[in-house]
Amino acid sequence: MSQTLPETFRLRAGNFNLLVLRLLDPRPEAVLPALGDQFRRAPGFLRFAPIVIGLGDLEASPEEVDFRALIEGLHALEIVPIGTSGGQPAMRQAAQAAGLPPLRAMGGRDAEELPGPAAAPEPAAAPLPPPAESGRPSLVVTEPVRSGQRIYAAGADLVVTATVNPGAEVIADGHVHVYGALRGRAVAGARDNPEARVFALNFDPELIAIAGFYAVREQLGDAASGRPTQVWLEGEELRFGPLG
Amino acid sequence: MAQVIVVTSGKGGVGKTTTSAALATGLAQRGKKTVVIDFDVGLRNLDLIMGVERRVVFDIVNVIQGEARLSQALIRDKRVENLSILPASQTRDKDALTKEGVAEIIEELGKDFDYILCDSPAGIEKGALLALYFADQAIIVTNPEVSSVRDSDRILGVLQSKSKRAEEKREKVKEHLLVTRYDAGRVERGEMLKLEDVREILAIPLLGVIPESESVLKASNTGTPVIMDAESVAGQAYKDAVGRFLGDELPHRFLDPEKKPGILKRLFGGRAA
Repeated sequence: MSQTLPETFRLRAGNFNLLVLRLLDPRPEAVLPALGDQFRRAPGFLRFAPIVIGLGDLEASPEEVDFRALIEGLHALEIVPIGTSGGQPAMRQAAQAAGLPPLRAMGGRDAEELPGPAAAPEPAAAPLPPPAESGRPSLVVTEPVRSGQRIYAAGADLVVTATVNPGAEVIADGHVHVYGALRGRAVAGARDNPEARVFALNFDPELIAIAGFYAVREQLGDAASGRPTQVWLEGEELRFGPLG
Repeated sequence: MAQVIVVTSGKGGVGKTTTSAALATGLAQRGKKTVVIDFDVGLRNLDLIMGVERRVVFDIVNVIQGEARLSQALIRDKRVENLSILPASQTRDKDALTKEGVAEIIEELGKDFDYILCDSPAGIEKGALLALYFADQAIIVTNPEVSSVRDSDRILGVLQSKSKRAEEKREKVKEHLLVTRYDAGRVERGEMLKLEDVREILAIPLLGVIPESESVLKASNTGTPVIMDAESVAGQAYKDAVGRFLGDELPHRFLDPEKKPGILKRLFGGRAA
């Protein structure tokens, strides 16, 4: 059989920033009206937005939480719960039985465990993206990356405060930041993370790749200007824009 | 404690041996007990540049293989006090060098000398790796030309990862940039890289700039290190580099193409000026 079937799907890992609704009260009838009130004050904010239920702050037994009622109530507020984070195993199992699987936060730490301000997001005047997780690891390199050298930040961002010279390779599973001249190769989102970006103060690379989509110098044209530049992926195409 | 200095470049033909001979001679002239070792086994050249090729009996491979004592293989320079040469073998290849053998030689030389210069072969293979392995300091010889700069960049990376200091996680090898065959006129015409471009990419302190000069070839062919030619701009530039290496504060000279007509003017147009 030489005829290949048309491709019907692609499986790729993705990293997402999600809001976490950290429950302090187990009773849906107490949480939902307060939440509804807050969301009415910020119209359009997170309509149909996916949200993670944080269980780590909850001092209650699994029997006390009616997950099905909570899910139904959230749907009524046009909020889509997609899973849970933190909490005791018994609590997570109860949530899973109701259709909310446990999610693991990036870097192996649950967002739950990080010290944070209020449990529920403060009503924002304008929709703000959820804050980046402070525990995200990164690899910082302060020496020039020289021809023939290859630096890989596994599961992390890579920050180079010097230059990346021709013939050098900088690779990260997260973002690649170069606060010098980028003249070698840069690979961001090496394990198929399409959200990863490349940032460089002096953008003059040999090759750029994000999540496996790449462009060599010849294809970069005017983008390789030596100016501060960021690169991101839109669909299957690399996009280039100024920094700052 | 003797300082071990490797003279290296990655690329061939950029002036490593000329530089090794000039700097070793210059250090000895300043009263430092200096030995220069030729690591280019199989392509022995240093003895020619130093003008001692007729006095070579034993070489570094003989010493490593126990066929001769170190004192038998060392050649004392007749023109400059405090200067010795350990030649390479012409009939063997680089596999004849071993890390243990080189370690013993360097340790023994360290008892008698202030500076041990290692003249590296080109490339990043065994001979070059052994030449830089024991280094405390490195002189990176680079021509103002893209392939030379890239190879120097590569060898800097190798120094940071494969030297003994790197392996033992000690203070890193001290790096010096020496730009050779610098032709200010061709730089101005855009045919050669500018000094600033070379410095920006390699990002290490500049020890000196040696201008392109006919006297270098003449010096090589007569077996006289160019630093002994006080008339030559290259010789003067090497002398400055030795001075800076020893801590003298000297401005960089010979960077300006205007200098050449200046000299002619002094010779022929003095009265008109």
